[in-house]
Amino acid sequence: MRAEAAFMSLVLMAIDTAATSQFVRDRQRFYWYLLCPVLVVLMLVTVAPTIYLIITSFTPLSLTRPGTALDFSDPLINYRMLMSDSRLHNSLWVQTKLSFWTVSLQLLFGFAFALLLNLRSNVLVALRTVFLIPMVLPPIVVAIIWKVLYTPDISPFWWIFESLGWDVPALITDANWALTSIIIADTWQWFPFTMLMTLASLQMMPEEYTEAARVDGANAWQITWYVVLPHIKGVLLVAGLFRLIDSIKAFPLIYILTEGGPGSVTEVTNYYGFIQAFNFSYLGYSSAITVVLVAITVLLSAAVISLIGWGQRVD
Amino acid sequence: MNPWSRRLIYAAVILLVIMVMFPFLWILVLSFKTTNQIFAGPSGLFAAPTFQNYAALWDGEFRKSFMNSAIASIVSTGLALILGVPGAYALSRTSMRSEKSLSLLILASRMAPPIAFTIPYFLAYRYIGLIDTLSGLIIIYLTFNLSLVVWLMRSFFDACPRSLEEAALIDGATPWQAFTRIILPISGPGLAATAILCFLYSWNDFFFSLILTRKESMTAPVAVVNFMNYEGWEWGRIAAGGTMVMLPVLVFSMVVRKFLIQGMTAGAVKG
Repeated sequence: MRAEAAFMSLVLMAIDTAATSQFVRDRQRFYWYLLCPVLVVLMLVTVAPTIYLIITSFTPLSLTRPGTALDFSDPLINYRMLMSDSRLHNSLWVQTKLSFWTVSLQLLFGFAFALLLNLRSNVLVALRTVFLIPMVLPPIVVAIIWKVLYTPDISPFWWIFESLGWDVPALITDANWALTSIIIADTWQWFPFTMLMTLASLQMMPEEYTEAARVDGANAWQITWYVVLPHIKGVLLVAGLFRLIDSIKAFPLIYILTEGGPGSVTEVTNYYGFIQAFNFSYLGYSSAITVVLVAITVLLSAAVISLIGWGQRVD
Repeated sequence: MNPWSRRLIYAAVILLVIMVMFPFLWILVLSFKTTNQIFAGPSGLFAAPTFQNYAALWDGEFRKSFMNSAIASIVSTGLALILGVPGAYALSRTSMRSEKSLSLLILASRMAPPIAFTIPYFLAYRYIGLIDTLSGLIIIYLTFNLSLVVWLMRSFFDACPRSLEEAALIDGATPWQAFTRIILPISGPGLAATAILCFLYSWNDFFFSLILTRKESMTAPVAVVNFMNYEGWEWGRIAAGGTMVMLPVLVFSMVVRKFLIQGMTAGAVKG
């Protein structure tokens, strides 16, 4: 399409009348008029607040202490506090564990189930819709569902454990299991995402590849490892990055299931920032935490863009 | 493939479907039980369904929260489409030098943790009196809806053949006519799918509403969670509220399921 349009404007240029270049200029101006409103609003609703967030991060703003909103006497105070706040460091470690396990498990299950579903079968194609369900459910409903499943009094799982005579602790209130319980719920919600992405990529792989390997005597494992995996590793990487970025946002599951507890074993950085801002009212300090989180997010998003080349269209 | 391994695969698939469906069906079942039946264990499971949870929700404050959710989501979606669709079209038809930084802005604003916007909006809204208003919610929903519209509609317009408007332009149509009379009419499916996705994202919001609303403009997801905190864990009502929150989502997702799978995977499979 690009080439065609370029050719078209070349032809038009070649005719080279004043009217033609006027025509092209009019069109450029028209596109600019269309683009302006959305750019202005986008700046107002996203860029301006981000600048405000950064400014706030240089103040000791707390709603309980008047006059702190514009106090720039010690702009780096929050950033110095970041360095010495052990609760923050713990939250970063919890975040790392949560991200590592959820992303790994989602990639693993997603890949495994995609291989399983990659058959030319109408039943399986129809079933793909079913796998959309966990992903599209409101996060808060997913959290409520798992709260029910993790509450021993009303959970069907604990009825089974009881009838088998097993004494299983309530996972979400047990310091050793709380993070695992969140990892399980998050994996349940998001493995379909990696699975559907892998599946789409598998179906674009020419069948000759695996056919040729089979003729050459490769077994199923070898085909998976040496033929299929190299073909889809790009998609796995992008899916993993998307999930990694999203895992930094984890909130509803933690808010509903554990509230960051017991103690602070499930308190991720995002949640800690929320507590600092809206429970303790230290908005200045929380802004500094958030600025760090946003910086990480922007870096990861830039990685996604350079990987999938989004912004350059495929002609 | 021999029949046994095929049967094995189908067994695995059935297990997988149960794994995905069971938690979600469970909350649906609970929503038709009284709290006593829920606590009665397996025996309560087979009691006749009751609609009292839904009736209680409908007579209570929840109905208002449900309407708040609907209004905020619909208005924000509409605004995002009006602003975003022409912009997406322009982006698709021109090349801009700063295109890459714009892509980053759009993607980053979709990816940023909600708290990054919540703190500045919370401070600004306190100052200008938009806390606990639907307008406040509608504006903050634009942070993700606008970028969603530009992102999806641009790739949609990229796929629309340019020769269509070129022909109209050469026949003497103005660029605006080419856009409104040629391109928009064939964009119906893309617009509908984008609108539904925007609606779903707004509808699913929890964090913004949790921080920026109190009582008047509380949305349905926050209202459901409040059943947990103040009214003594009425599981039946929580389940019914949760079901009502997920119902529109499920209906709309099924409508655009094909687009959902494609839209989600298109960007990633390209490279």
